[in-house]
Amino acid sequence: MSLEQFKNRNVGTQNYTMLDLGERPKTGWDRFKQVARRSVKLELFTGLKVTFREMIKALFMGEMHTIKYPFEKLPISPRYRAIHEMKRLLESGHYRCIGCGLCEKICIADCIRMDTRYDENQRKEVSEYTINFGRCIFCGYCAEVCPELAIVHGGRYENASEQRASFALFEDMLTPLDQLNQQQEFPGFGAVSPDADKKIKKTPLAY
Amino acid sequence: METFAFYLFSILIVGLFCVTVMSRNILYAMTSLAAGMVLISGLFFLLGADFLGVVQLIVYVGAVMALYAFGMMFFDATGTVKENNTPATTVFLLGGLSAVVLVVIFAAPAIGGNVHALYPTPEGATNPQAVGLVLFTKYLIPFEVAAVMLLVAMIAGIILAGKKMDKSLSRMKDESAVSEKDVK
Amino acid sequence: MDGYIIATVIKAVLVLSIIAALAGFGTYLERKVLAFMQRRLGPMHVGPYGLLQLAADGIKLFTKEDFIPSGANRLIFMIAPMITAATAFIALAAVPLLPEFKLFGVTVKPIISDLDIGILFVLGMMAAGLYGPLLAGMAQNNKWGLLGAARTAAVFLSYEVVTGLSILAPIMIVGSLSLIDFNNYQAGGMGEWLIWKQPLAFVLFLIAGFAETNRTPFDLIENESEIIAGYATEYSGMRWGMFFIGEYANMITIGFLASLVFLGGFNDWGFLPGGLAIILKVSFFFFFMLWVRASWPHIRPDQLMWLCWKVLMPLAVINVTITGFVMMV
Repeated sequence: MSLEQFKNRNVGTQNYTMLDLGERPKTGWDRFKQVARRSVKLELFTGLKVTFREMIKALFMGEMHTIKYPFEKLPISPRYRAIHEMKRLLESGHYRCIGCGLCEKICIADCIRMDTRYDENQRKEVSEYTINFGRCIFCGYCAEVCPELAIVHGGRYENASEQRASFALFEDMLTPLDQLNQQQEFPGFGAVSPDADKKIKKTPLAY
Repeated sequence: METFAFYLFSILIVGLFCVTVMSRNILYAMTSLAAGMVLISGLFFLLGADFLGVVQLIVYVGAVMALYAFGMMFFDATGTVKENNTPATTVFLLGGLSAVVLVVIFAAPAIGGNVHALYPTPEGATNPQAVGLVLFTKYLIPFEVAAVMLLVAMIAGIILAGKKMDKSLSRMKDESAVSEKDVK
Repeated sequence: MDGYIIATVIKAVLVLSIIAALAGFGTYLERKVLAFMQRRLGPMHVGPYGLLQLAADGIKLFTKEDFIPSGANRLIFMIAPMITAATAFIALAAVPLLPEFKLFGVTVKPIISDLDIGILFVLGMMAAGLYGPLLAGMAQNNKWGLLGAARTAAVFLSYEVVTGLSILAPIMIVGSLSLIDFNNYQAGGMGEWLIWKQPLAFVLFLIAGFAETNRTPFDLIENESEIIAGYATEYSGMRWGMFFIGEYANMITIGFLASLVFLGGFNDWGFLPGGLAIILKVSFFFFFMLWVRASWPHIRPDQLMWLCWKVLMPLAVINVTITGFVMMV
């Protein structure tokens, strides 16, 4: 089934195929004939055939369905909203966050806390940045609002922990420097969509 | 060895049947009766009558007792039954007397040394063959009459049970269900 | 005489331990086969390929709380699972498991007791096995248990008739009730197998066997969607496990009976030696039971009774009559 078919919720307008079940037996004689016909045609063995075929497929043709979860994981959509990631600039390796504080402002669960100061070059520097994942509802507003694509949602969804609330520090979420060359530009939630240029409209200037 | 087994079986059978008679709990009575039946088939095996032993097992244990059990399910099997107490001395006297009479009847020929087989087992016949030979030569008519009797009983049972067999309770419409209630 | 007794005791202990172990192994096989048929892996983590799952289950069953409900009849509640397990193993006493073989110069007959009426004994013992579920259901003071017990009585009583009648036709042909005679009758290779002479009896026996071992199309005695676990509702721990050992032992017994009576028993099969042949046949029947469980849904209780009394029993009677006519002519 393709994705479009899958998403079609207009139940009743789709092309259903009606099964031809034939006439239901009415008299006892009809019922007897049905039983006899089904027994002679060995209809029951079709079921056996199906299960045996599936077993052969699973065992010898590599079509086993099981994912051994903690060892194997299914790929997830890039737009999945899991634990946040902080991105770096590709050229310099410096983190992208400019300390504007928009994410802190927009966070509806009030779970982001950041502190900034001016460094020696009079640039804004993030001195403290934590997200309380005990409160975060993964709505994605922070990533949506970030002007620099600095905070995005990543794909790490296993966040069971021993504490009730676990805080994540800026450094934990930041792409490690040695993996900078693997940083993808559009991997996660909150990034500009690929067709952003087409969607953009000029703001009318005349009033 | 066989004597030991015989006495073991006998004591167990008598004990179990005593439980059947004495117990006030339906479940105990039924279980001990069934167990006693199994042990009686053990006595048959001891005598070398394998076929009869197995028939005892299948007919009495497998079928008759299971039917009793089926009947028991309509009672509360875990509770105890309140028995109607008749004068204990009378019951004891009558029961004991009939037991003594039965024992005397069966034991007298054995003591007199008068027991001999009317139809001795032919040489080399296996157990089922021996039973079959006697059953289908000397006792053919009683055997057939018993079969006819069972057939009559079966037909009577079907007629008694099957009066409303063509009506399905689950498929009955509401109106007829109401009328059923009214009738009651 | 003494040697005979000692040999019998050794054989009994061997059969008991091997079949009990196989019954436990059967649960592992069942889970694996069902999993493969649904394209899953089944137990994988305890030991290599989950083989030690068996031991883990055993430990779990042994250490579980042995629970007896307060309203239950304690004594009967406690002995009921033993009846199931015991009758299942006693039934195996009259089944020849392997061909005769020589061990240290002594000829060993792998049958505990060679009765003249082996097949009847097995059927009788399986009939007595109905008391396990029956008493368990009645003793536990639980509605589901009682319903399970009622179904047990109905199913076993009805399907014993079919088992007996279906196996009557082969008995008439062979002219003996001993399972060894059945085996020897089919000694002449695959063409002599009784299944070719009695295909209908084979099918009927297999269907009735499914009902008597309480396997899937007919597992209404402990049908979880309707009556929780039926007679085993209040059971836990090893007592519950005993019901299962009994059930799997019964499956093995039915497998042995079907292969001895219809599929040539332990005669040499082509290049296969007899011992291996019968093990293969019994394994096939065991696999077939699991296969059917993976494939077919179970049926309603009224359909079960309908099938027994209106289809299988008339067919069995017709089969016996026709066999009788053919033998007379």
